[in-house]
Amino acid sequence: MSTPARRRLMRDFKRLQEDPPTGVSGAPTDNNIMIWNAVIFGPHDTPFEDGTFKLTIEFTEEYPNKPPTVRFVSKVFHPNVYADGGICLDILQNRWSPTYDVSAILTSIQSLLSDPNPNSPANSTAAQLYKENRREYEKRVKACVEQSFID
Amino acid sequence: MDQTEETDAVNRDELIMQQQRQIEKEISDTIPLVSEEQPVDSLNNEYMGDDVYGSKVRDLAAKYRAIRRTRPDGNCFFRAFAYSYLEYLAGHKEDYDAFKELALKSKDKLVALGFPQFTLEDFHDTFMEVIEHVSPGENDKQELHKLFNAQGYSDYVVVYLRLITSGQVQEGADFYQNFIDGNCTIQEFRHQEVEPMYKESDHIHIIALCSALNVGVRVEYMDRGEGGQVKAHDFPEGTDPKVYLLYRPGHYDILYPN
Repeated sequence: MSTPARRRLMRDFKRLQEDPPTGVSGAPTDNNIMIWNAVIFGPHDTPFEDGTFKLTIEFTEEYPNKPPTVRFVSKVFHPNVYADGGICLDILQNRWSPTYDVSAILTSIQSLLSDPNPNSPANSTAAQLYKENRREYEKRVKACVEQSFID
Repeated sequence: MDQTEETDAVNRDELIMQQQRQIEKEISDTIPLVSEEQPVDSLNNEYMGDDVYGSKVRDLAAKYRAIRRTRPDGNCFFRAFAYSYLEYLAGHKEDYDAFKELALKSKDKLVALGFPQFTLEDFHDTFMEVIEHVSPGENDKQELHKLFNAQGYSDYVVVYLRLITSGQVQEGADFYQNFIDGNCTIQEFRHQEVEPMYKESDHIHIIALCSALNVGVRVEYMDRGEGGQVKAHDFPEGTDPKVYLLYRPGHYDILYPN
């Protein structure tokens, strides 16, 4: 069954395979193109370095006119990531543009790891530590990096 | 996990978005993307006993033979514009050919302006497909109506017009900057107010789209203002309008002149 959303997701997948951005990967689950699994590798020179963070991306038939729901499956200690893995990122909410594809989503989340926005916190502990106690923040992040190897 | 993290467990963004989706669903279940033609005085049903609007509806009904309503989803200007203009083009071969040529070339222009080619192509392909479907001679009016009520096609047309509008705003940044209030840059305006779906249109959107496509639009304004008559405004001023729209605060519908 081909709908605009499914057709577009096939194109997104093809592009992700042919022209993969550094440090991210993603693919539809075996039997459902509307649900993807993805991995983001922690960016170099950040406390997230070496981490492998798993995510799920759920699309609706309204994609790409509406953003998908993206969620970390791995535990991520970050000012803009909720305890349930939900991500507070403007392009996944009110600044979504239909010109974004899966590559763009994953690379945006990757840069969010490097550059948190502590002013719109989803995890207030992480936001506070990021602003006031960077050493403790990095320690907590490194703990979740190590956890990501086991997950 | 400590106490503070527990309290953060409620994902507010998601709750807000859920509620918004619920409201949108209620609207989409009851109002079609584009309605059939209706008599202009059907507007009276919304303004029972309201003298200001009553006299304006009479004025409008004297000038226009019908109205076609669009779903109030924030895309109404773009959807109404596209429907009305394609309907006009289906009956005007020369203008149709010129528009098709312009639409074909628009992709390369937008790519040159910095839009991502990969995703742009998807919208452009569908946009061209819709134009193809309404070519003069085929002249099946129902086809246009069907396409515009199929969410996939209808929304892709809206997206593509938004991208063209955004491209025009970027190209004429010096000019459009004057119309953007506050401390919003041209880039922010394009990314926050033009490109995202469901964002309502303002004068700046209309001016940019009309200039990009070289199409005249007449908007009839109907609000609570004095005078008992609707007020017409042409974009750009002094052009011969091909598209007629009714504006009531927050919403655009399609009009058919006598």
